[in-house]
Amino acid sequence: MRTAVKYIALTLFAIPWVLVPVWLVVVNSFKPAGEAAELGLGLPRTWAIAENYGIVLDRGGYLVGLLNSLKVTVPIVLAVVLLGAAAAWAFGRSRSRWLQAAYFVMGLSILLPPSIIPTVYLLRALSLDGGSLGYVLTMTGCRLGVVIFLATGFVRAFPRDLEDAAAIDGASRAQIFVRVLLPLLRPVLFVGGVILIINVWNDFFFALFLLQGSANATLPLSLFQFASGTLQSLNWNLVFAHVLLTTLPLVAVYVVAQKRVLAGLTEGALKG
Amino acid sequence: MVMRNRAGWLVWALPAIVLVAVFFVAPFLLNVRFAFSSWTSFRAEITWNGLENVRTLIDQDLLANAVTVTVTYAILCMAIQNTVSLSLALALQRTSRINTIFRSAFFLPTLISPLAAGYIWRGLLAPDGAVNSFLGLDWAWLGEPATALVVVAFIDAWKWSGLITLVYIAGLNSIPKSLLESATVDGAGPWTRFRRVVFPMLAPALTFNVAVTLVGALSAYDVIAATTGGGPGDHTRALNVVMRQQWGQGFFGSASALGFTVTLLVIVTAVPLVWWLRRREVAG
Repeated sequence: MRTAVKYIALTLFAIPWVLVPVWLVVVNSFKPAGEAAELGLGLPRTWAIAENYGIVLDRGGYLVGLLNSLKVTVPIVLAVVLLGAAAAWAFGRSRSRWLQAAYFVMGLSILLPPSIIPTVYLLRALSLDGGSLGYVLTMTGCRLGVVIFLATGFVRAFPRDLEDAAAIDGASRAQIFVRVLLPLLRPVLFVGGVILIINVWNDFFFALFLLQGSANATLPLSLFQFASGTLQSLNWNLVFAHVLLTTLPLVAVYVVAQKRVLAGLTEGALKG
Repeated sequence: MVMRNRAGWLVWALPAIVLVAVFFVAPFLLNVRFAFSSWTSFRAEITWNGLENVRTLIDQDLLANAVTVTVTYAILCMAIQNTVSLSLALALQRTSRINTIFRSAFFLPTLISPLAAGYIWRGLLAPDGAVNSFLGLDWAWLGEPATALVVVAFIDAWKWSGLITLVYIAGLNSIPKSLLESATVDGAGPWTRFRRVVFPMLAPALTFNVAVTLVGALSAYDVIAATTGGGPGDHTRALNVVMRQQWGQGFFGSASALGFTVTLLVIVTAVPLVWWLRRREVAG
């Protein structure tokens, strides 16, 4: 009886919290402009799927945005995970005071907000402003801290016997890293990677300052430009079509990997 | 042992150290200088000008309001997010098939970009939108000073609640069962068990979540850009919103001063909070 009440309450909560927002986006992206302006939740009286999505793909810069988002997300996630794991190994194992000081700075970089305006200045001085490379380097530098912090805790919790045994067997450090350390760190790197992908894919603030011109625009940037293009009132049908297409790649990955994502996040990377 | 010489370890940490030093630490240090420098699109030379930027921002009535808005936003966001997420975590703690379905559903908003979340709720909360037609009102939630700030903070909280819920579930599941059983044997009811056992044992997850939401919310920008743009009037004009406006008008020094204010706010609020919460962890 009590469980029944609980699940009824949860369902009643999930309707406005998840179902209605998702339904609003989907159903209104199928309507012509005038009908979508009413922002109703009913089915379309006239369907305009092909028109709306055609416009978003054509004028909304969606395909360019999708490619640009992939072009920055993949290198950032790979760089943060691999360089973060390598650094965490050093921070976890070395007793050097310099490295421990560097580790402390990594910890600070999680808590303190990145300084965006001097970053623009710095990238300009390095002739890296406006393009994807400057963006990738900046995001990597600002996101490494979290992964290093989580992974170092993990490294410290493991005895070094496995690494020593591999070294005695004649394995080089690089081999030990690939064969012993990366498998050991897999759960924490997976969780860090998931949070990172969500963060980078959806990043708008850094992109707004660091990526110039529509040729470099990632999906959130192209959504914003598209939505701001019509100044007075939003064309809700087109905005929602863009929102749906922008979110879809992440949702698709999530649907495939959801079991591991949920298990990874709930079993906790925080224990380390 | 080969693995124990110092220079050897430095190589492994070096790429990360260089990237963080150049793209996080250097801008951070430069910001301290730029915040107190004259630097505009009209005069590219950067010269020290003391508190001139701060004074200009105060004279234009921008600074005090932005600080108030930002802090209020952060507190609202943190409160809404942690209340919702902790409640959901308590309801969905046990791993069962039905709970997994609910966890999965409640995680969905986390996948949506804050910008898109802003557009979605702007649609739902429009004067003739779904929320008003359900409640029988025609209130402009985002257009009225009374509700605009609460609503944008709510949208931000909505977007992140799924992830925070999972962190709480992880925290709840790390509490030893024996502790709860012995509390029950000692005659503690559900509420006493929560207050005396669960809540104190949840301290690490709580520290993490409170810190993450607070630091994130002090840097609020995306949701506001998609919904109110800082309005009505200046009621949702958070520090980063003013920073972007100053930047757009070519006042780079003032923009840096606003960015530096966000950093200071984090230092004076989040750092002591994390320190205090961690001390509670140790004591508990």
